[in-house]
Amino acid sequence: MKVNKSGFWGIAVLGICAVAAVSTVLMPPAAQARNIKVGIIDCYSGPPAVYGKDALNGFKLALESINKEGILGGKIEFTTRDTKFKVDIALNMAKELVLRENVDVLVGTINSAASLAVSKTIAKEQKVPFIVWIAKDEKITGAQGHRYVFSTSENTAMAGKAGGVGLAKKPYRKYWIAGDDYAYGHAIADAAWRNLKALKPEVEKIGESWWKVGEPDLVPYFTSIMGAKPDAVIFCTGGASMTNALKALKATGMAGKIPSWIHTAIDHAVLKPLGAEGPEGVMGTIQYLFYYPETPENNAFVERFQKAYGNPPGFPAFNAYLTAQFIADGFRKAGAIDREKFIDALEGLKVKSPVGGTAEMRACDHQAVYPMYFGVTKKVPQYDFVIATDILTLTGNEVLPTCDEIQKARGQ
Amino acid sequence: MEADQAVFLSAVGNHFLVGISRAMILFVVSAGLSFILGVLRVPNVAHGSLYMIGAFFAHSVTTVFGGNPLGFWLALLLAPLMVAAVSLVAERALFCHLYEREHLMLLLFTFALMLILGDLVKLVWGADYRSVTAPKILQGSLTLFSSPIPKYNLFLLAVGPVIAVALYLFSNKTRIGKIARAAALDREMVSAIGINVSWVFSFAFVLGCFLAGLGGALVAPTVSVTLGMDHDIIIEAFLIVTIGGLGNMWGAMAGSLIFGITQSFGVLILPQFAIVFPYLAVVIVLLLKPKGLLKSVW
Amino acid sequence: MPVASRKRILPVFNVLLLGLLTVIPSILPLFYIYIFSVIFVTAILAMSLNMVVGHGGLYQFHHGVFYGIGAYTLALMLTKTELPIWAGFLAGPFCAAFAGLIIGLFCIRLNRLYFAMLQISLGSLVWAVTFRWYKFTGGDDGIHGISLPDALLGIHRAYYVILAVMAVCLILMYRIYKSPFGITLRAIRDNPERCAAIGINVRMHQLFAIVLATFFAGVAGVLFVVVERSVFPDLMFWVLSLEIMIMCLLGGWFTFAGPILGAAIMVSLRTFAGVYTEYWTLILGVLLILLIFFLPEGVMGYLMKKIQPRKADS
Repeated sequence: MKVNKSGFWGIAVLGICAVAAVSTVLMPPAAQARNIKVGIIDCYSGPPAVYGKDALNGFKLALESINKEGILGGKIEFTTRDTKFKVDIALNMAKELVLRENVDVLVGTINSAASLAVSKTIAKEQKVPFIVWIAKDEKITGAQGHRYVFSTSENTAMAGKAGGVGLAKKPYRKYWIAGDDYAYGHAIADAAWRNLKALKPEVEKIGESWWKVGEPDLVPYFTSIMGAKPDAVIFCTGGASMTNALKALKATGMAGKIPSWIHTAIDHAVLKPLGAEGPEGVMGTIQYLFYYPETPENNAFVERFQKAYGNPPGFPAFNAYLTAQFIADGFRKAGAIDREKFIDALEGLKVKSPVGGTAEMRACDHQAVYPMYFGVTKKVPQYDFVIATDILTLTGNEVLPTCDEIQKARGQ
Repeated sequence: MEADQAVFLSAVGNHFLVGISRAMILFVVSAGLSFILGVLRVPNVAHGSLYMIGAFFAHSVTTVFGGNPLGFWLALLLAPLMVAAVSLVAERALFCHLYEREHLMLLLFTFALMLILGDLVKLVWGADYRSVTAPKILQGSLTLFSSPIPKYNLFLLAVGPVIAVALYLFSNKTRIGKIARAAALDREMVSAIGINVSWVFSFAFVLGCFLAGLGGALVAPTVSVTLGMDHDIIIEAFLIVTIGGLGNMWGAMAGSLIFGITQSFGVLILPQFAIVFPYLAVVIVLLLKPKGLLKSVW
Repeated sequence: MPVASRKRILPVFNVLLLGLLTVIPSILPLFYIYIFSVIFVTAILAMSLNMVVGHGGLYQFHHGVFYGIGAYTLALMLTKTELPIWAGFLAGPFCAAFAGLIIGLFCIRLNRLYFAMLQISLGSLVWAVTFRWYKFTGGDDGIHGISLPDALLGIHRAYYVILAVMAVCLILMYRIYKSPFGITLRAIRDNPERCAAIGINVRMHQLFAIVLATFFAGVAGVLFVVVERSVFPDLMFWVLSLEIMIMCLLGGWFTFAGPILGAAIMVSLRTFAGVYTEYWTLILGVLLILLIFFLPEGVMGYLMKKIQPRKADS
């Protein structure tokens, strides 16, 4: 019978799947007590994938040298899970890593909502240290921080403060604020404006506009901003929307007329694909540039990274490299593969930064402290895309909220 | 006050033009979707993926040509053709065996196709952001209504109607177009007079996908070409096709204009809630005209 | 008679299954108990959708919204008010059903894809408001780490609560399925014109089905909060709604229990394929195509056919 025949194949396919599922159940991952297991949940699909992959590469590169030395007689091994930028899948995967794989440390993700969810429902409950490495929501280590969550990413408070401090040194008075209409955009805008206003009380906000995340055509927004003639614009956008914003800045001719600041506008993941089409004169902030500072450490890091992955490292790679250093040095200092001891060891720990100098894990809020760079895009002969120039370095303590402010935010 | 009014009026004009130019891309994509819906009765969820692939192909073609402006114009032709080839393979290998099935099953199939194509794009092109550069003559902006409008948006304003007219001529004046329209209305009748309906369907599917690819190639210079483009467009395209009247090409045009214009005016009037305007427009249209604005073939 | 024997076997089978599910937490590692809880919640959701899609023949394309409303109602009541938890447990499903009634009233006038698209638009409005209303819903960040009473805390306790609620829901759904209302609904699905001709109020039946289905979606939403203790706007996004529909089609949408199987397949696939590859959506896509070709009536539909080769029971 026809139905039976095709049905047979269907059952066969299902059977194979069932066997595969059962075999995963029956074969729990082999226990290797001596190695430190790191579970990475991050997004490797959709627009954020470019950052997820960059971070993963940075992490792998760091592990090469760490594992050569060894830690507590073992190595660091890691396993990754793709969250598809969805919170429910992130929770699924994180629980799988913690409960089934028994990872010692959780690391991830680019999605702020997922980071908060994992931090509050898994890290805190199951008492697993969770290091956030790309998500920038200041609530992660701020208002909603706790003992088990850490961040090696620059958060919105830091980015906004860096922008505010940088802009305060410029002569502009009348500002317009515009950005992606979601938590990230608003948080950056608030932080930048608060800090700018505090440093330079005479600045004036003449208007705001917000567009939906991923809005493909920003031209109408930009023309109404140009009509209002502000001295400068604070843009709060990121990722794929950033490219759209930079393209619209160029296409409307706004880049040449009104100066603007966008956090991560000087990120080469965004500027490189634009090539010579990238707008000049855009101000941006970031915590890592592969061409600045030109220290021997940074040059060596870039060279190794470029050789291994064919691209210069971006800021996620920097964050991830630091994360690996923190994990390695944390366990070395703790002297045992023990989650609580590891957390105690991490508090106040200083590790070598890939650009030279050190980065510190602040004890009061578990936020990594490192400098931020404020620069302006410009075409230079060495590269076929625009890069940041006139770079201003803002020290970590200059851009971080103080421990008192964190305490207040946490309601303590 | 007069100055304010002038600023406002120029903003209105600007938003209007940009809204329509955005609508042109939506039109090209949703016309393809509408064509497939009309002839095959299939809600093609993979349409957004084909649009994304169109944009990626456009990037590859322009990259091959380096900075040569010819690359962009060739990409506009080649990228949709490549998308059409991909869809032809999918249609002949798999899809054509399913036409007699329940609608929801066909939907399930196109959903599966969307999942597969999405991951294949990642396998082939990787996760990096990509950008397509428009040729020199389309870069920069012109001043209209005393505010600048990018030349590329003006180019889209010109291209949209050309494609609409071409589609109209094609489906009304050519034999194959007429057959496709007839198949949309009554497929038994068409097969009764000895026409191979399967090939008509195949043709309609490939043409619809060609338009998706063309939309992707056209949008590429204004956005960042990236994974996830498929999700952004597909739901909009479905809504447009529905308010226009399923299977009606001019309906797709009307729907796109409503979408593009409400979106850009939403920005002007209530930027905080611009995100809800298109949905609101759909709700209003469907409450007033439950079968869409123009005559539907369903 | 095979039918008679099946009638005798089925209750025994169900009791055995329930017994098995009651004891497995003491055998299985913690993670699998959690995954079972997720499967149960998803199964209730898929079953509730199938009440309207499979049995009602309606294109309910944005069912996720009602799931989200149920979850958000409980989450907001727990975080913003002092009301006892059972009030939230009741409020979730009822709010979802109320939303179902309102949206249903609008949509019911339209047919098929028009119904679907109007529902997607209305649902997306709810999503957009949730996504934007930072003060109240937490916006795109959502609300996380919702505190629950001790009776519900921990993976084991959550599992038993969810298992119990699922059992009750399934019994209720089966009653509805076998009731005159359920039979009428399927008759409307197969031939609305004829049903209208013999004096059945087609619209009323469909609307009632939507309200019932959205109520159960609300139950699933409430249970989602129990198992994950988080809510976020993704719950109301159209992608999730499409996934639920896939589960129904996958399991067998003309059968009663098919969606449970569909939910189990989807959740396990995503969890266990995700361990090995980041390309698990590709695997899911290929698997779906194989199923479409070889098991057109869904997994359960095929199994049912095997069990009773000739009898096409309602």
